[in-house]
Amino acid sequence: MHTHDHSHDHTPIAVPDEAPGYYEILETAVRELLAAKQIVSPGEMRQQLEVLDSRTPQLGAKLVAKAWVNPGFKERLLADGRVACEEMGITFYENTQLTVLENTEKVHNLIVCTLCSCYPREVLGLPPDWYKLAPYRSRAVREPRAVLAEFGTTISEDVEIRVSDSTAMIRYLVLPQRPAGTEFMTEEELAALVTRDAMIGVVPVRFGKERVQ
Amino acid sequence: MNQSEELLKRLPNDIGGQPGEPVRRVEHQYLPWEKRCHALADVLDMRKIVNTEEKRRGVESLGSEMIGKLTYYERWIAAFANVLFQKGILTPGELAVKMEEVAARHRRETSA
Repeated sequence: MHTHDHSHDHTPIAVPDEAPGYYEILETAVRELLAAKQIVSPGEMRQQLEVLDSRTPQLGAKLVAKAWVNPGFKERLLADGRVACEEMGITFYENTQLTVLENTEKVHNLIVCTLCSCYPREVLGLPPDWYKLAPYRSRAVREPRAVLAEFGTTISEDVEIRVSDSTAMIRYLVLPQRPAGTEFMTEEELAALVTRDAMIGVVPVRFGKERVQ
Repeated sequence: MNQSEELLKRLPNDIGGQPGEPVRRVEHQYLPWEKRCHALADVLDMRKIVNTEEKRRGVESLGSEMIGKLTYYERWIAAFANVLFQKGILTPGELAVKMEEVAARHRRETSA
């Protein structure tokens, strides 16, 4: 078995005066050569870095809260995630589709990318390390209940668990169940309850006394 | 089944359904160069130079030893360099020269 999940701790934290590591030098060299050849301009790079910074789980949380309070929007979101996002001004990378999976009393959804790291980054930003590491990728499709338990989540045996494996073209987002006791909350208050991990499907959205951990 | 058959049947990325260790909920703040690496991937994709599937295959073809030892964005940048060589956009020679130039520039900046 090959070595696994050490990708988080052997890259030193960058200190301005510290010499860049081999791979950082490689990255800089590739980027500068592509700029010199007028293939990728520094302006495009800067613009894309700004796009990356603008993509955070708050976007996904807004979608979820809107779907909870607006049945028409929810229907459009479940019918075609990308079209519904675009309606809210969330742009997509070319060719990627977004499928939104609704959690109900009978079905709990979980998303994974077994091959690598495909993720609904248009609405959640860049994925956490654990999503990209071998244990989650290998086991989520084999023993989802055991994996969920490692996140402190127990799903009743009579609820079906559906695991969706992402691809470069099709990304998934979980629409979590709206917690009880939130009937009088505004859309904005609801959005504040929705976490990234709930939209991956590893935890439920919690409210009030339930909101431990 | 012996180990070499397993290597043939499953490429390094193809781990879905394999047994594995418990999930540790590790996360880290993306380093500036990692973010730049991600932005570069996006721009190369938007410009139709390297798409997501080519990138994934580029990582796969690094082989299981490198996949095991390199971090996520280390794998990406190594894969991009190889894919750009294959497409004739960069050559290994010019990249080596450029890397030395970048390293030397940094040495000058820090010794000044």
